[in-house]
Amino acid sequence: MMNILLCCAAGMSTSLLVTKMEAAAKDQGLDSKIWAVSADQVKANIDQADVLLLGPQVRYLLPQMQQLGKEKNIPVDSINPIHYGMCNGAEVLKTAVALKNK
Amino acid sequence: MNKFLGFLESKFMPFAGKLAAQRHLGALKDGIILAMPMIIIGSVFLILGFLPIPGYADFMASVFGDQWLAKLMYPTDATFNMMGLIAAFGIAYRLAERYGIDAITAGVISLCAFLLATPFNVPFTPDGATEAIAVGGAIPVAFMGSKGLFVAILIGLFSTEVYNFILKKNIVIKMPDSVPPAVSKSFVALVPGFIVITIIFLIRLVIEYFGISSIHDVVQLVLGKPLGLLGGSLIGSIVAYMLIMMLWSAGLHGTNIVAGVLSPVWLMATEENQIAFRAGEELPNIFTSQFFEVFINIGGTGATFGLAMLMLFWAKSQQMKALGKLSAGPGTFMINEPIIFGTPIVMNPLLIVPFFLTPIVLIIVTYYSMKLGLVAKPAGIAIPWTTPPIIGGYLATGGKISGAIMQAVNVVIALAIYFPFFRMWDKMKQQEEGGVNSSKVS
Repeated sequence: MMNILLCCAAGMSTSLLVTKMEAAAKDQGLDSKIWAVSADQVKANIDQADVLLLGPQVRYLLPQMQQLGKEKNIPVDSINPIHYGMCNGAEVLKTAVALKNK
Repeated sequence: MNKFLGFLESKFMPFAGKLAAQRHLGALKDGIILAMPMIIIGSVFLILGFLPIPGYADFMASVFGDQWLAKLMYPTDATFNMMGLIAAFGIAYRLAERYGIDAITAGVISLCAFLLATPFNVPFTPDGATEAIAVGGAIPVAFMGSKGLFVAILIGLFSTEVYNFILKKNIVIKMPDSVPPAVSKSFVALVPGFIVITIIFLIRLVIEYFGISSIHDVVQLVLGKPLGLLGGSLIGSIVAYMLIMMLWSAGLHGTNIVAGVLSPVWLMATEENQIAFRAGEELPNIFTSQFFEVFINIGGTGATFGLAMLMLFWAKSQQMKALGKLSAGPGTFMINEPIIFGTPIVMNPLLIVPFFLTPIVLIIVTYYSMKLGLVAKPAGIAIPWTTPPIIGGYLATGGKISGAIMQAVNVVIALAIYFPFFRMWDKMKQQEEGGVNSSKVS
């Protein structure tokens, strides 16, 4: 079971990506829970997550979130802007899996 | 141009990061956001009160009596027009959260301090009298709304700072060990709360000593007026918007970063318009929150709905075609991250030009259309920023067709400005694809 938390300003545009990532995970037979929240909701959600990915438009929060991730021992990174823009669920899923296994 | 983009990346990232990590700005933004659902709920009743259907008012009066409209505004008054009160609590709460101290206590201290800053009397002109007298025993509702917003912000931040300082310095009432922990905990808020209340009390006494009616008047003069001039003028609005666009060009959420500073000004203008709209008076402001959300950000920041339509119907390259299909849906609800990162507009010298140009042209055109009375001004009705175009313009102007038309005109303007740049970009993509026959993005 893989728990992937996505975060952007309002949690709206990342929720687009959630559907695509879920589809990609299903294709690969990967059991996963993927959800998107706004930046201020990360603290309340991070305990349920294995990895945290930030939308590129809030990547200025990366140092802050990595600090939080360090405390919780959860890897944090930002999503490649092009993959994000094209809603490339498979690629972002790959990033998440690679991040978890690092 | 590349130098400029390099500058954006290297300077804005740390700047935006610092701004986002700045406790007070973050608390200010999150505290005010707390009022937003209430403002929108209040707007629903406002829309119901002013449905632009012929005979609607007469019908309502015949069913619910003459006072129907005044009664329908009860919920609006208790939600939309309480944004100051909500912010006083919310900002203190959010700041305390960031300090890791008891947030709800901080919120309550700030709430009381905010009320203390407000004289409990309202002006009233009796029949036959020429001058208003102050009637006691009433909390002035006007200061609980946007008029009190600046004081709410200052007190919310200040009182929590004091609370935090005193807790961290460990100046609390120590109870003997025999006192149950829950009891001694209930005294923790006493010292900081007492100090905050005393400070605001003294400030109020000093201000009254000088014959000024309240702290609100001072803050309005020192903060509200200058900021209002900045946010309420054409030049000020364009400058503020340029800053948002510059951040977005570097791929950062500009609206989110700048909003903390500007949203109080635009919210205040929104409420002023709402009050005038209800009274059937001339609307005082053009630049409200809805001016930008509804008329400028059509399809998202940069008015990219036009660009999404171009991609959907006229793209020749596989990549732009795919992106058109992907972005038209979210674009209809004013979400444009796929366009910004997928096209991409971010760090793209060609498309940044119309990305800047379009909203500036739209601000100018919309402003003058409203100023000259061709188009209805935003009526102070707050609708969710995700409301699709045409519907949004109609609702935000209080049910005026001209609002919907203005949005349609703005979409056409955006289409026209984006068109040549889109063509060039689409052609470049087509050539790339012709070489390597692959639609994969790398």
